[in-house]
Parts: sequence; structure tokens; C-alpha cells
Amino acid sequence: MSIQILLMELVLMPLVAFVVGLFMVLMLRRIGAKLQRRVGPPMMQPLYDIVKLYGKKTQISHGWMHDIGIIMAVGGYVAAETLLPVPGMDGIADKGGLVTLVYVMMIPSLGLALGVGQCANPNGSIGIARALTAMLAYDVPFVIVVFGVAWYFGTTNLVDIIAIQQAGGVSGWGAIAMPLLAIAGLFALQGMLGKQPFEIYIAPAEIATGPMVEMSGKYLGGLFVMQCFQLYTAGVLYVSLFLGGGENWLFFLIKVFAVVAIPMTVAFLFPRYKTEQMIRLMWKWPVMIGLLGLAFVMH
Amino acid sequence: MTPLDELLLFSGLTLVLLLLLGRFSYAGKIATVFYAGQLLFLAKMADRIADGAIMTFSLQAELFGQQMSWRYDALSWFFAVITLGAGLLSSWYASGEWGERFRRRGGNLWLLHVALAANVFSMLILLGSGDLLALFIGWELVSWASFLLMTVAGGRAIQAAMRYITYAMSGAMAILAGIVLLWSHAGGLQYGQIIDVMPQLSQAQVWLLVALFGAGFAVKMGLLPFHLWQAAAYAETPGPGAAFFGAISARMGLYAIILVLVQLIGLARLSELTIPFTFLDMRDFWAWIAVLTIILPTYTALRQTDARYLLAWHGIGQGGYMLLGVVLGDALGSAGGLLHVFNYATNQAVLFFAVFAVMFRTGTADLNKLGGLITRMPISFFAMLVGIIGLAGLPPMNGFVSKWFVYRSLMVEGEPLLFLGAIIGTLGTILSVYKLIHNTFLGQLRVEHVEVREAPWSMVVPMIILMLLIFATGVAPGLVLDWVALVQSAVGLPVVENTLGGIELASGSLDMLWVVGVLFAGFGIGALLFYSGGRTRQVHQLDNYAGGHFLTAETRYHYSDNFYAGLMHLIRPWYRGSFVWLESTLGSLLGIAASLMQRLYGALHPSIYLLVTVVVTLTWVLL
Repeated sequence: MSIQILLMELVLMPLVAFVVGLFMVLMLRRIGAKLQRRVGPPMMQPLYDIVKLYGKKTQISHGWMHDIGIIMAVGGYVAAETLLPVPGMDGIADKGGLVTLVYVMMIPSLGLALGVGQCANPNGSIGIARALTAMLAYDVPFVIVVFGVAWYFGTTNLVDIIAIQQAGGVSGWGAIAMPLLAIAGLFALQGMLGKQPFEIYIAPAEIATGPMVEMSGKYLGGLFVMQCFQLYTAGVLYVSLFLGGGENWLFFLIKVFAVVAIPMTVAFLFPRYKTEQMIRLMWKWPVMIGLLGLAFVMH
Repeated sequence: MTPLDELLLFSGLTLVLLLLLGRFSYAGKIATVFYAGQLLFLAKMADRIADGAIMTFSLQAELFGQQMSWRYDALSWFFAVITLGAGLLSSWYASGEWGERFRRRGGNLWLLHVALAANVFSMLILLGSGDLLALFIGWELVSWASFLLMTVAGGRAIQAAMRYITYAMSGAMAILAGIVLLWSHAGGLQYGQIIDVMPQLSQAQVWLLVALFGAGFAVKMGLLPFHLWQAAAYAETPGPGAAFFGAISARMGLYAIILVLVQLIGLARLSELTIPFTFLDMRDFWAWIAVLTIILPTYTALRQTDARYLLAWHGIGQGGYMLLGVVLGDALGSAGGLLHVFNYATNQAVLFFAVFAVMFRTGTADLNKLGGLITRMPISFFAMLVGIIGLAGLPPMNGFVSKWFVYRSLMVEGEPLLFLGAIIGTLGTILSVYKLIHNTFLGQLRVEHVEVREAPWSMVVPMIILMLLIFATGVAPGLVLDWVALVQSAVGLPVVENTLGGIELASGSLDMLWVVGVLFAGFGIGALLFYSGGRTRQVHQLDNYAGGHFLTAETRYHYSDNFYAGLMHLIRPWYRGSFVWLESTLGSLLGIAASLMQRLYGALHPSIYLLVTVVVTLTWVLL
């Protein structure tokens, strides 16, 4: 692959991710509206929101780490998108692989955590403490899933993982070969996206939206952009591991949106768990299902 | 003079010079220059080490008819580089205002310098041991030199040092027993003789050997269940000493484990030793010890409220990754384990430097009495940030690469449970180091710290050097992996074929040059987006959401105590203190046995002992 094409992919991949992510946020709001018998926002509303937030006159900064934290939160995901192959574009997926992607995805969280830390608001700090605890909870089943998939396909290269699945048709999909791991993965996905019942770190009535408590204007706008990327990344990763990636853009987008719709729908049906309830649940059911699935895969 | 002669003589000279001149205010600077000199002598060997040559030491000694010799191969050289680097930067850190303050407060700076030089010298000797007798003598020298450095602070440090030396002596006895066992079979203690005699030893004998040597070396490394001494002993040592200990001291145990278990006995032989009543063999057993050493101390670190103790506990945990990698024994895993020795040393040193810089300015390392220092000590903050990213093993710092190698090896070898354990350790590390940086540098600045300034340059420059090193070896891990490959070939492990940016594998490669490049490009886009938004206005920390209340300078608006309350709610009952219980039980049993013996001795009349002795001797002579 020539360097020009690679550079073009590196620019295009985050851009596509952002646009798709905007539509996912729209879908999130529309699903919520449907369930609550409301009309829901118009199509361009997520974009308007971001433009509005970035353009606000009052932009409160609590220090340079607050600023850099937001930059890291957005920038980390921009980088992560180039490690995630989509139809026609592999980016640098072959230079990082699954393990690297999982760790690059922690950079935005780290940036956010540092930024919130400097805001000097205990609500924010409690939110981060809970978010990190949540990470400890959902990452345990998640790494079991990652291990199982890498073992089954014999590689951590996402390009190869997708190619192997597509070579086998629908019956070659990870979800068919490893149904238990796919279920455990869905559990982890719900926690990873911080959706109810696992939104302990936002908890508006309790800790005043936690990490977002001191975020205004473009700071909140940055988090909005981050959420677009986050939804997209989680959806695409799941599709790449279990649903054969994308043969073409149409099927790819259908799969990704379908996957992301699941946690969104579940979210509006549940109240919130307490922190220790979340850990207990995550360390019990998805871990058990995941380990069982792993045992099937490895024997 | 061989290059090794020059190095060891120069190192000895450094020690002598500091013994004589250690009182003077310029002693720290002299020490720094001399450590740099030693590093130069080491660098002079680099080319020949790279060719696979073995450096010899001209002096040979004979003890009890055993020939003792010293030599450096790539393994020794690799550990020596880290030792000297840690020594150099630690003494640099101590050479300016830190040392001055330490002395003014009544600390014995002479002892600190001498003890540090003695540590470096003894470790260089240990690393050069050419046979088991030399290894044992070097081991003892290192133990006592560590003990000396641990006692510098006095008070609680003495207690911790006494605990260490008790463990170290027990460990040394186990090693000595192992050496005697080997000597009785091989008739000598040269490595060659031992490798030759190994196939003739029965499984039971090798079992015993592994247990004896393993336990002895595990003490120094702080492997479970012999880890209890380490945290207090390292944390209570004054600044530069703690950084030096944290960076490299415990890794002498790993060096010895590699030497004896991997090089002399061989990992293949370990796999043949089964553990009764389990499915495990000896190698699995060691891997599990490594994983437990990763998990338990890491979660103990999570509960610490003193920054020094937090780091020291992590030091124990990170040792587990190194051992795990080495025990896995394939090219990837052992490269990861060895690479982690270097990476972890840089991370831990910079973290200790940052914590002691904060202590230097504020007088405390209590995580509930700090906060908001980022605006006052930005460089120290940045140093700690780089350090925690490295320690937690996230890109783009070097700690990520070494852990990536270990993870990948576990994936290739198909060890899901060990993999899960290693990741659980990493997650615990992330939680714990965030608490460290949050409680120290983020959040609300306390009234009493408003006047605090950045640490002086003599302390900041070593931090900056380490930061650059951590980042550079994270972007281009190939720089260190080249050395690691030499070590692997010297030890007889499969050799990793690395590239500058990582490794190319059919089953998933790593190229940090690209990953970090794209990551920073991403940050660039993030920054563009951010600065294209509206103009920001910086507000005072008290201009903050407080649910309708007004914040004043007296309001404590910082969340630090019991930071992970929700998590602790669940896992607090799991901290049983079993090892502390075990240790105190052993101590009590020993006490009971001792007082029983005393009673026995005191109760009976001495003449009865005489009678018994005479009767026994006569019986023996007559029969």
C-alpha cells in the first residue's frame, strides 16, 4: 500500500467514525423518545449541539490539565479509529492489533480522568473513581472475550480476524462459533458504554453527573464528540470480533447500528445499580459465561 | 587490564572515595561523576558483549579449594546498565538541595552516599559471579549493603531493615543448603560442572534444589509468600535510596533466578517436575506464583494512603510480570519479562523522584494531606504522569510494550487464566496510580500549599532524563529489545526478532512508531478542535459547583479518603491479612520453641548435661 493511500485512510477513518457516531447519538435519542412516547430530536440535532457547545461564549477552564484532558479524550479516540478496520480501509490495524486497540481505548478515559481531576470538584472525582471501578468490573469479562477470540482465530490482527470470518460466510462468524463469548461480550459492551443499569459514574441525581459536573461549553462539546467515537468504536469492535466485520459499507453499517441499538434499548428499561452491585454482577454472570465459552473454544 | 577489571576497580574506587570524602558538600556531585564513569566503562564493553564475548575478571580467588571467578556476559551487562543508571540518577537527585536539606535535618548524608556506593559495587560483583560460590558471596554482600542503606533513616526504617535481614538470612541459608547439595553431587561449583551433573540428578533432588534456590531468591525478589518485608523497607529509605531500591535492587533476585533456574537447571527440566496432588508442574507453579505476586500486592497498594508505600507495593507486583515472562520461556514472553526489568526501573525511579520532590516541598507523602499541586509543581506532575502511564502499561510509554509482549506470549501459549490474572493486576494498577496522581496533584490545593514552588533543578533534571527515556523507549522499544535479544541468546532462551518499533509476527504485530505517531496526530486533531472553540476563561478553584453552597478557603473540597469506596465495599472482606498472620504465627512458634529450650536448659543442672555427653560419647566410642 502506498503511503498516500495510507495517509488518506488515516484521515478518512476518524472522519467516517465521527459522522457515523453522530447518527448513533441520534439513534440513541430517538430510541429513548420512542420508548417514552415522544417525537425525539431532528436529524441534525447532535451536530447542532456540538457546534453550539464549541461556540459558546462562556468557556470555564480549571487549568491546563483540564484542557489537555479534553484534547486527550478526543484525540485518543481519533487514534483508536485508525486501528479499527472498516470495509475498504485497514489503516494501521496490522501495526497494532487487538491488544493495542484495547489499550489505546483507555487513553481517552485517562485524559478525561486527569481533566476532571483538575476541576477540583468532589462530584467529578467520585465519578472518576466510579468510572475506574466500572472499568475494573467490565474489563474482566471483556479480556476473557478478547482472549477467546484471539485464540480461536489464532491472531490478534483484526484484519485477519475479519478476513477469516468472511471467508466462512455467515456460519464463519465469531458469534456462531463462540456464542457464549458473544453473550459475555454484550454484557461487557453495556458496561463499557456506561449505559443503564451501569451508569454509576454519571448518576445525575446522586453526584451531579460526575465527570461532567464542571464541564461547560467546548469541554462538554469534547465529551459529546468523545461519545460519538465511543459508540462507534464499541459497535465496530463487536462487529469485527463476532459478526464478520463489514463485507461492504451497507451491511457493515446495518450490523454496527444493530449492535449499538441493543445496549441503548436495554438502557431505557433499567434503573441504576450501585457500584458494588455492578461489580458483583459483572464478575459473576458474564465472567462465568465467558469462561465457559472459553473452555468450549479451547477444547 | 580487562574492561571488567576497570569497571570493578573503578566501582570500588568510588566506594573508597565516598568513604573518605562523603562528609563534604560536593560528595554527591563526585559520586554522580563517578557513577557516570562506571557507566562509561560498561559502555566500553558494549561492542564485545554484542558480539557474544564474555568479559573476564583478572583476579581469581580460591576458597576451601574452590576456584572463584567473575565474568560478565550479556545478562550481567544488562542488569549492570540498569543498576548504574539507577545509581547515577539517584545520586544526582541527592547531590543538590535534597542532600543539603537531608543533612540539615540531621540525616547522615555520608552514610547514604557510602551505602548507595556499596550497593552499586556489591551488585556489580554479584552480577559478575562466575560460579556458585562467588554468587553466594555476592548475594551476601548485596544483602548487607541493602541492609546498610535501609537503616540510614533510623526509627521505623530500622525495624523494616531488621525484618528484611531476617528474611534475607533465612533465604541465604536456603541458598547455601542448595549449594551444598549441588557440591556434594558435582564435586565443584563451576557452572559447567553443574550443568553436566544435572541430568544425573533424580527428580526428587532437582525438586529440592528448585525449592531451596527458588525460596532463597524469591525473598530478594519479594515473591509471594516472602514479600512482606519489602514495602516498608523500601518506602522508609530516604528519597534517592528508595528510588534506587525500587528501580533495581529486588531484581537481583530475578537475575539469580534466571541464572540458576533457567541457565543451570533449565526450564525444560522444571516442566518435568510435577507437583503432587495437582495438575501443575513446577513451571506452572512458578507462573502462578508470578501471577499471585502481580495481583495481591497490587491490590494491597490500592489501599495505601502513603505515596511511598503505594509505590513500594507496586514494585513487588510488577516483579511478577518479569518472572511470568521469564518462566513462560518463549521468545516473546521472556523478552517481555526482561524488557520489563528495564522499563519498570525507569518508571519506578521517576515515580519515587516525583513523590520525594513533593515531600521535599510539602513535608508529607500522605495522600490525604495533599492535592492540587499541579499548579505549583508542573514538572513533577508531568514526571509522575509519565511514570504512572508507564507503570500502568498504557501507550505511548515503555511499560506498555513489555506488558504487551507478556500478554501476547500468554495468548500464543494459550494460558487464559494467567492472562486474566495479569490483566486484573494491570487494572488494579491503573486504579491505584490514578489515586496517586489525583490525590497528590489534582483536585483542590490546600491553603498551606499555596506558597509551594517547583522542586529545585538538581531534582528535576533526573526526572526529565527519565521521562525522556521512558518515552523514547516506548516509541522505539527496539533500542532496548536489541539488548534483550543478546541476553536471551546468552541465557539460552529463544531469541526475539524485533524491529525498532516492536515486533513483526504473523499472528499480530506491534509497531510503536506508527501507533505513537497516530496517537499524537490524534491529539493534534483534538487540540485543533479544542482551540477552534470559544475563548476560555480560567477560574479560581473555589469558583466551583457546590450544590448551592459557597466555597471558602477553609472548605475541604477534595475527595481523597477511601477513594474507591464502592469497590472497597465489595472487596474489603477479601483482604484477610493471611500472610501477616502466617508470619506472626511463625514468629510466635519460634518464640515458644526458644523459650522451651531456655526452660529446659535452665531447669536442669549443668552436670546432667555433662553426664549425658559423656555417656553418649562413650557409647559412640565403644560401639
